[in-house]
Amino acid sequence: VTHLQRSRALRWLCSLAAAAALVIMLFPVYAIIVGSFESTETLFSGTFYWLPHAATLDNFRTVLQGGSATQTTVGGSQVGNVVTSLVVGLGTVLLSLVVAVPAAYALSKYRLRVTVVLVSSMLVAQIVPSIVLATSLFIVFHWIHLLNSYPALILADGTYAIPFAILVLRAFFFSLPNELMYAARVDGASEWQTFRLIVIPLARSAVITVSVFAFLAGWGDFIFALTILNGTGIQPITLGIYSYLGNYSTDWGAVMAAGVIAMVPAAVLLVMAQRYIATGLTAGAVRG
Amino acid sequence: MNVKTRAGEPAPATTGTGAAFRPVGGGSPRRLSAWRRQQLAGWLFLTPAIAYLLFAFALPIVYNVMLSFERTSPATIANFTAPFAGLDNYRFVLNDSTSRTAIVHTLEFTVGSLVGQFIIGFSLALLFSLRFPGRTFARSLIIVPWLLPLIVTGVMFRFLFQAEGGAVNQVLKSLGLVDQSVQWLNDPHLAMWTILVANIWLGVPFFTLLLYSALQDVPVEVKEAAVIDGAGPWQRLRYVIVPIILPVIEVTLLLGFVFTVKVFDLVIGLTGGGPANSTQLITTWSYNLSFQVFSFGEGAALNNLLLVMALVAAPLYLMLSRDSLRRSSGAGT
Repeated sequence: VTHLQRSRALRWLCSLAAAAALVIMLFPVYAIIVGSFESTETLFSGTFYWLPHAATLDNFRTVLQGGSATQTTVGGSQVGNVVTSLVVGLGTVLLSLVVAVPAAYALSKYRLRVTVVLVSSMLVAQIVPSIVLATSLFIVFHWIHLLNSYPALILADGTYAIPFAILVLRAFFFSLPNELMYAARVDGASEWQTFRLIVIPLARSAVITVSVFAFLAGWGDFIFALTILNGTGIQPITLGIYSYLGNYSTDWGAVMAAGVIAMVPAAVLLVMAQRYIATGLTAGAVRG
Repeated sequence: MNVKTRAGEPAPATTGTGAAFRPVGGGSPRRLSAWRRQQLAGWLFLTPAIAYLLFAFALPIVYNVMLSFERTSPATIANFTAPFAGLDNYRFVLNDSTSRTAIVHTLEFTVGSLVGQFIIGFSLALLFSLRFPGRTFARSLIIVPWLLPLIVTGVMFRFLFQAEGGAVNQVLKSLGLVDQSVQWLNDPHLAMWTILVANIWLGVPFFTLLLYSALQDVPVEVKEAAVIDGAGPWQRLRYVIVPIILPVIEVTLLLGFVFTVKVFDLVIGLTGGGPANSTQLITTWSYNLSFQVFSFGEGAALNNLLLVMALVAAPLYLMLSRDSLRRSSGAGT
């Protein structure tokens, strides 16, 4: 066996190992997709089918039209909840950008006394568990009559996205040469004009990265939705999924159809913004 | 000096390239005004972030401390404050058997997750750093678990771990490893494994990608030098590569720790903390205390224990980030 042949064999062995890893890592996602097309009878038959068995769209019909195959307590359509999740996701993006872009710019391009304190706070803020914030925010929002509202949920969901956004954007702004700002000032631009007309357009890629993560955080949030919303008003898709779970009678078809719908943004972003997702992950995006 | 009237004026060019400095007393008035204007601009840019930080982090954390010393009841929620309770809430939490087991479970869960995530993540990172057909494709798909809403991951694994009709049992049975359905979700001794497996699955992409990008940054010359010196693959890994990427390993483990002590959605979706509280973590039990039985004071006390536990990571995190902390390019004066 020549050296070349051996190294070629090794490469294919690596491919095989990677394929095996992928199959294991993606199998749960595959299973939920297949499950979403199974009939309730199949799902409760006690057998797991590797391929769709008598595929049906009933579960999606249930989820979109309302009702449940096994539970009488839930009946609402998930369409409104999907819209709610979209609004919350986009609201989280907007809030994160408004707060984080100028702050990150100031923390990287201005000599301010608070820089070290604020950047440290962002690092520590990433560590704070959401349940700690949720308990207090519930009472605070109750107190200021903001429970069950979009602003409350978006303000809370910002806690996932904003510290991360500031740190990522700040790291990006370091890569912009200071000469850009000097030149703008020489040309008579105000600080705001420099920021608005020179800096923001250049920050496009970092802004997209941050937006992708802010959207996924707002879209996928469960804990704040569970605590700050009491179920009578707006409800995101994550709570919709939860409503189909029961101690004894989980409506598996509906759970999985709603779960598949909740995975759609991740799939879309994976195809469209893969580069930005990889960048964000490598920058150390922490969730939860 | 009135900042507003000066705002429209062209700013004086800063001398030098990066040598921005704050002029001390006696600097020319024009200089001073530029410095002030930039300070003001900097602070204005920071205002939304500072306001947000105070509202969404500082206030809840301080309020949580207050709550933990209060005798709360459903009726006191409307009042923002409740009668002082001294250390009663902490006493309750430390004597409550479920709270105590929740603390133990959180530790087990965290350690188990980190070990699993690191071993699998590092192995995959090493695999992906080799050249083979399809590696870019594999690397781009491996991040899928990380993108899904956590509650979806939770219910997904609940489906897979079902005793009857669950894929896990079906695989185990067809391989002949078990002959009866394993009660993953109903047996208090086994349920912890289900949340561990799900959380490891969830964290592997993050570990893989971070460690992979660190491996990419190891200079080729260093690796080649080690080969020339006769180091085998294991020696190269142990004595050359690991020491170089150690800072990234530390940050990755730290972020993994931070992520894992926070886990909530996953457990709610998968086991709901059961059976018999066997997968109850601090987060889920705190939720239960605050939002199921409305003992916000006790929930807050447990929250504070969790916060202290999580913040153990803070000094280390700050230390590992110290270069970025001190960094300032100072385009302003």
